[in-house]
This record gives sequence, C-alpha cells and structure tokens, in this order.
Amino acid sequence: MGLKCLAQHYLKSTGPSFILTKKNKPLRRRTASLSKMEFVNPEGLRLDGRRPMEMRQLRAEIGVVSKADGSAVFEMGNTKVIAAVYGPREVQNRSQQSNDEALVRCEYSMANFSTGDRMRKPKGDRRSTEISMVIRQTMEACILTHLMPRSQIDIFVQVLQADGGTRSACINAATLALADAGIPMTDIVTSCSAGFLNGTPLLDLNYVEDSAGGPDVTVGILPKLDKVTLLQMDSKLQMETFETVMQLATEGCKAVASYIREVLLENTKQLESRRGV
Amino acid sequence: MDLTFQLFMYVLAAMVGLSLGEQTFIKGGIDQDLRTDGRKRLTYRPIFVETGIIPQASGSARVKLGATDVIASVKAELGRPNPSYPDKGKVSIHVDCSPTAEPSFEGRGGEELSTELCSALERCLLGGKSGAGAGIDLSSLCIVRGKVCWDLYIDGLVVSSDGNVLDALGAAVKAALSNTAIPKVQVSANAPSDEQPEVDVSDEEFLQFDTSGVPVIVGRHYIADATTEEESQMSSAVSVSINRQGRICGLTKRGGAGLHPTVILDMISAAKHVSEQLMNKLDSEIAAAEACDEMES
Repeated sequence: MGLKCLAQHYLKSTGPSFILTKKNKPLRRRTASLSKMEFVNPEGLRLDGRRPMEMRQLRAEIGVVSKADGSAVFEMGNTKVIAAVYGPREVQNRSQQSNDEALVRCEYSMANFSTGDRMRKPKGDRRSTEISMVIRQTMEACILTHLMPRSQIDIFVQVLQADGGTRSACINAATLALADAGIPMTDIVTSCSAGFLNGTPLLDLNYVEDSAGGPDVTVGILPKLDKVTLLQMDSKLQMETFETVMQLATEGCKAVASYIREVLLENTKQLESRRGV
Repeated sequence: MDLTFQLFMYVLAAMVGLSLGEQTFIKGGIDQDLRTDGRKRLTYRPIFVETGIIPQASGSARVKLGATDVIASVKAELGRPNPSYPDKGKVSIHVDCSPTAEPSFEGRGGEELSTELCSALERCLLGGKSGAGAGIDLSSLCIVRGKVCWDLYIDGLVVSSDGNVLDALGAAVKAALSNTAIPKVQVSANAPSDEQPEVDVSDEEFLQFDTSGVPVIVGRHYIADATTEEESQMSSAVSVSINRQGRICGLTKRGGAGLHPTVILDMISAAKHVSEQLMNKLDSEIAAAEACDEMES
C-alpha cells in the first residue's frame, strides 16, 4: 500500500473508535483545537501502532557505495537515507583552503521519488540548502579538523525515501559514513526528533504526525560527552512541556547511539575476520 | 584498420588517474581477451536486481552491475492527454546523478551526464514524436479518449557509478516497468472520472530493452560493459538498444574519435549477440526478484 493509502486506512480505523468512546468524548472536545485527527488513540497507540515513547525500527548498513571512502545507509522506519563521504582529499577550491584545519562540505538532496508526491527539484531549493548547512555544522563539531589541515571532507546525503525525521536520519547516516571512512572524530553524533500531539509527547515522528502542525523538536547529541550539537524546533510549546519533549528526544538519541555502536562493532569484527586477525 | 589511440576523458572518467603501466596493462589485457577483472571482452558483470524497493511508487527497481548501482522508480498519475494524440498516455523520463556516486556531481555538476543519460533513454524508450515505435505501448495508458490518461513518470537515480551507467539504467527501467502496478480505473457516467484503487499488476507494457554500450579500444577489439578505468581509455563508444525481436530501437555514438562505418556495423552485430544473453539473464533476474518480493510481502 502506498503511504497515502496507509494514512487513510488508519484515519478510517481511528475515526469511528473516537466517536464510540463516550467516556472521553467531552474531554476530547475541549482539547481538540489543534487537530481534528486522533494521533494517539484511547488505548495509547499511535497511527502506525507504536507506543508514544517507542521509536521506529532502525536499520543500518555500512559500505554500500564502494567508490566512496566511507558510506552508509540508515533507515528509521520508512525513512531511508544514503550517505557517502569523500575525503580527506585535496581542496578543489583553493580560495577556501584553510591552513590549520580541514574544510567540511555537505550536500543534501532528495530523490524525485522520495516523497509521496513527486518532487520537481531534487536539490538547490531552500529547504535542501538549509538542511545541508545544518548537517555540515553538526558534523563539523565532532570531526577533529585540526588533524587534517589543507584538506577537504565531502559529505553527501541522498534521501531515498522520506517519511518524517529525514534530518535525523541524515545525521545518523553521516556519522556512520564518517566512521566507515576512518575520519577521526571526538564522538559519534546521533539525532532524533520528538513532538507533542494530543497532550502526549511522541518520540520519532513520521510524516503524518509531523505535518499535523504540532511542535517538532530535533535534537542532535554527542552521547559520550553528553553535549547537544543540534537543537531545532518549530511551532510553539510551553516551557515545561518543551523540557519533557527535549528530554524524550535525547533519550531517543542515546538509543540510536547504542544501535550505531553495535553496527560499528559488528563491522569491525567482519573487517578483522576478513584480514585474518 | 589501425585506430590511433586517443585518451578520451568523460565527466565520469575525469576522476580516474591511471599510470602508464596501468594503461598498458588494460590495453594489453583486452588484446588478449582477458580484462583486468578476468572477464572476456563481451562478458557482462554479474547483475543483481531488486524490485519493489520504493513502496510509495507504482513500481521500482534497483540494479547493481558490479559496483554501479542505480535505482529506477515509476509513478503513475492521472492527467490530460496531449491534444494532438488524444488516445495516447504520456511518459516522461528523468535521470538524476547523485553526488554520492561522484563528488563532481555536487550541485549542478552532474547535470551534463544526467541530460545525456536522459536523452539516451528517451531515444530508446519513447520512439518518435508521434509516439510510434515506442518501447511502451502508449495507447494502453489511455483511460478516456481526449480527457483522462495515465502519465508515467520514470525517475532514475545513479547512486554509485563504476562504468556503464546507461546499461544499468536501462535494466532498472525495464525492471521497474515490469514491477509497475497501475490501479484499475472505472469511469462513472456522471462524474468526469471515478477511481477505484484496485491494484492491478500490469505487465503488458514495454517490449523493448536497452542494452550494451559497446566501447571501442585500441586495435580492432570491442568490449562490452566497461568499468570506469576502461572507459577512461576508450576513444569512442556506441550504445545500441535492441528489443526482444532483435530489432534496433535506438543508437547513440558517444565520444570524439571517428569510426569507419564498417566498424559501426560490426559493433552492432556484436551488440546483438551480447544482448540476447543479457536479456535472458535479466529476465530471469527480474523474475527471481519479483518472486522474492512476493514471498516477503
């Protein structure tokens, strides 16, 4: 089933149940100002059957693009992103060369078929430029650039399927790709998003929940150092609720970090066995 | 005939720097029918096909030809037919080169190659202006004559390139089309059109297949399915698109060096020979991929 069909299917299934639960009816009427849709049904399940604090299924693979120095595919539910790292290599544009540190460049592009409606312009639009900048700044914070002066590191991120949380998936994929390329970093960067709908903080929003108009907090952290490198939010939230949601997103990041470490460990073991160690 | 060797650099091959020893090795190997990865001159690399990888598209496929990795997706949308051809649907092809394949594809760097691949695919699949001789039967896409028809948007994405991207794209488009499921449309009398999203697997489209870029190298030898290093050494290439009946559907000569006409005819016959094997191989791969896909879902 297509993504739209899936959403409609769930809409149809949650609609009638909402009307039938007479106990909750007056309560819902009071709070149903933001959305006409039930994002968390009375049993506590979201549209795709997850619990509010549950993350989507993660899947990662390293070394998919053999030509690149490092590459990785990262999937968060239906969001699928491929990242490739080329570098450290000679700076292409001499004027940007820096004598004390490496130049980090990043490009984010979405495939034509990644969203439900076919996209006309895969790159160069404002959103892509903004996300490219965001990813670059986030990764620059963790790469030990002073170890590789007068060189350039290119991070290319390509979105194959977009279902909410593309920013987070891109950062996670870029981390894996950088690790695969053997570029020295202070710590891995992981990212996760969280939101607040129907009075409940929700972890890892998908596209339908994201486009509901509720707040969407994206957090990127360095898990071991316990530092925040990326924090973005849209819409509005009360201060206490914001702290809860941000805490939830940080927990999500830590869960992603443990998964990424597992993947990297597995990859290293395979490399070891191939080398006959 | 003795072809003077010319080093021809493509946008793709610009990143490959080969030493003189390596170049001699490649040329010498080809002269002796043994290429650097052990293949014969006209042998293709192993092909892996995966279908149905993009759930929100009507049909999709991913093809790996050695280290070359491409994804093709087909999206069907309702639209109005072209007034000059009211009983034919529309097909449009677009190719995008991702910078993950090649750092030089960043920003607008990959546009030249994408346009070249796009027009090569269009030439093979879309036929002439009137839609006659197209690989896809356009009249099967018509729903209501003059009012509603299916618009097929075929999108290709080059994820990783190691030579012979055009063949991989052609194979991916073919696999994606065979994986395409277009809903059945029932037209009600009063409303302009009513859609019933019943998924109906349509295989009747596409009869033709894009095949073999056959590069020419020094001497009188042709090779099929070149890797990036081999491509950087070639002086010119001919891409031939051949359908199941053994007819030529499209022809593109790439590269600057001039070729004698007999050489071209020779290459076309070599391409025909290679394409038969390739088509059988591809069909079996696509069938296996679809069977796998069905088992999973």
